[in-house]
Amino acid sequence: MCQKESEIKQNPSHFEGTAEEHEMSKTIQANYMDYVKGMKFFDPHIHMSSRTTDDYTALVDAGVVAIIEPAFWLGQPRTGLASFKDYYSSLVGWERFRSSQFGIKHYCTIGLNSREANNEALAEEVMEILPLFLYKEGVVGVGEIGFDDQTAAEEKYYRQQLEMSKEAGLPVQVHTPHRDKKKGTELSMSIALEHGIDPRMVIIDHNNEETVESVLDKGFWAAFTIYPFTKMGNERMVELVKKYGPERIMINSAADWGISDPLAVPKTAALMKIRGISDEAIKLVCYQNAIDAFAQSGQIHVSDFETPQEIDQSLKFNGNTVLRGGQIPRVDKDSIFIS
Amino acid sequence: MNAKDNLFEIIKANASQKELNWIETKATGSLQSLQTAFVATPRFICKTPINTSEKLNGVDFKSWTLDKLVRAYFLVSLSDSDKEVYTKTLNTLFETAENNEAVALISSLAFLENPETWLLRATDAVRTNIGVVFDAIAFENPYPQKYFSELAWNQLVLKCIFNDKPIDRILGLDERANKELATSISNLAHERWAAGRSIPPQAWRLVVKYLEETIFEDIKRLFDSENQKDQIAAALVCKYTEFEIAKSKLEIHLDLKDKTKDLTWSSLEC
Repeated sequence: MCQKESEIKQNPSHFEGTAEEHEMSKTIQANYMDYVKGMKFFDPHIHMSSRTTDDYTALVDAGVVAIIEPAFWLGQPRTGLASFKDYYSSLVGWERFRSSQFGIKHYCTIGLNSREANNEALAEEVMEILPLFLYKEGVVGVGEIGFDDQTAAEEKYYRQQLEMSKEAGLPVQVHTPHRDKKKGTELSMSIALEHGIDPRMVIIDHNNEETVESVLDKGFWAAFTIYPFTKMGNERMVELVKKYGPERIMINSAADWGISDPLAVPKTAALMKIRGISDEAIKLVCYQNAIDAFAQSGQIHVSDFETPQEIDQSLKFNGNTVLRGGQIPRVDKDSIFIS
Repeated sequence: MNAKDNLFEIIKANASQKELNWIETKATGSLQSLQTAFVATPRFICKTPINTSEKLNGVDFKSWTLDKLVRAYFLVSLSDSDKEVYTKTLNTLFETAENNEAVALISSLAFLENPETWLLRATDAVRTNIGVVFDAIAFENPYPQKYFSELAWNQLVLKCIFNDKPIDRILGLDERANKELATSISNLAHERWAAGRSIPPQAWRLVVKYLEETIFEDIKRLFDSENQKDQIAAALVCKYTEFEIAKSKLEIHLDLKDKTKDLTWSSLEC
């Protein structure tokens, strides 16, 4: 963020706020979490399998109560079907359990990502096992699917998975490409419409200033990934919410094994608050819209994360699992029992 | 009645008409359709707790929910006339299982045809770090007592103790006590004591039948422990053992002897 006063002085166009906002900007680095105290967040795109337990702790502390982990690649292509099967099964198994230990409700979307769609022989096999996973509890969509290099193979498996989403009555989480984004986004939307899919069932992800208008105009959900350097910065995000309002807009961190920030949602909420966006709008963008979009799967029950849950890791954790080496488990501080 | 009919009777007493209709349309289907129904169960069946006093194949349903019971019913409805297809279907369910599905599979082992075929799945459930799946094999499940080797049994019990889980929920705990396990308990205690830690006092119930000179040294140490539960555990061991020296030791600790009159091992599980 460009919030140091010295930088603002040198480059006033970076910060054109009121005097009050200017004053706030001096202190926000130290206490930005104060601005979102008591707020609840839902991060609809975060790859927890590639994150540490420290991140789970940080998410809990920042008010993130539920997350969606979309299926993606592993940074390198898989070489066999069993790797896909084990990965999907970890999203509804181990990772879901790991998350539950921190009191965070973990959902996922299941799909063949665009990069690996280019290995057609393997992609064919993956198409056969996808239905085994799409109907599972807590699977809230088909995703993340769409285009990367915008090849014919990518299009073929995008179309097949759109059909699967229709069959299963699941929303679709669409990854839009890094390169040639505008064209890829338009193509993704037109193909979805061609398959007769209601745009209300489609979340177009990784939007930017160039794509958002068309996505909203066509009736799709517009998700924004707050991710340093390559995707959206959160100051830009605030401006977009000011311009387009909160309707059908949601933000996520897409935190993975790259340089990313799992706290992107709460941090952006804090910045929105500081920049004068209403609490109601913040709630829509950082919580409610994601729930409304993905709850169309019938797999999200808000009572699972809106009612505070007792977290007692000492009851559930196994000695040789996440809490290793004699770390003290975090237990519910309100509990009368001390053990 | 076979397991299938028995399960259905309990389902009938707990499900709504709408749920029963869905179950009936699915239960007569192909293997493929049963497999899909097993996965899709929570979409159509509530997670309400089961109300029944019935026990079936050693399984008590008091902590079961309706969706889990219906999943068990679909599993016993799978036809095993073609062994190869049957095995493949179940293997796929195990390998792709979401956590609640895994719990249902492991909890239903006792109802399956030739339960011993699924021994590796059962011991894998002991190996898992997913708490709910481990609990499904460890607690109120008759499978380990009946089918586990001594080695697998001891692993199960030791892992429970290691993770502070309530061993009195393991079926057959006293029946399957063995010398090897008693020695392991003593070794674990020494390892913990050396690190300035302790073991759950109820673990000592496993040495009762195998108490001898060496392990008795541990019991003497428990009598001197500052933790009252350790002292009670020591007294309970001495109360139930056939080892004479230990029996007489209890006569020195009359206050504890008195206390154990109303206490059982389960009283230490909290």
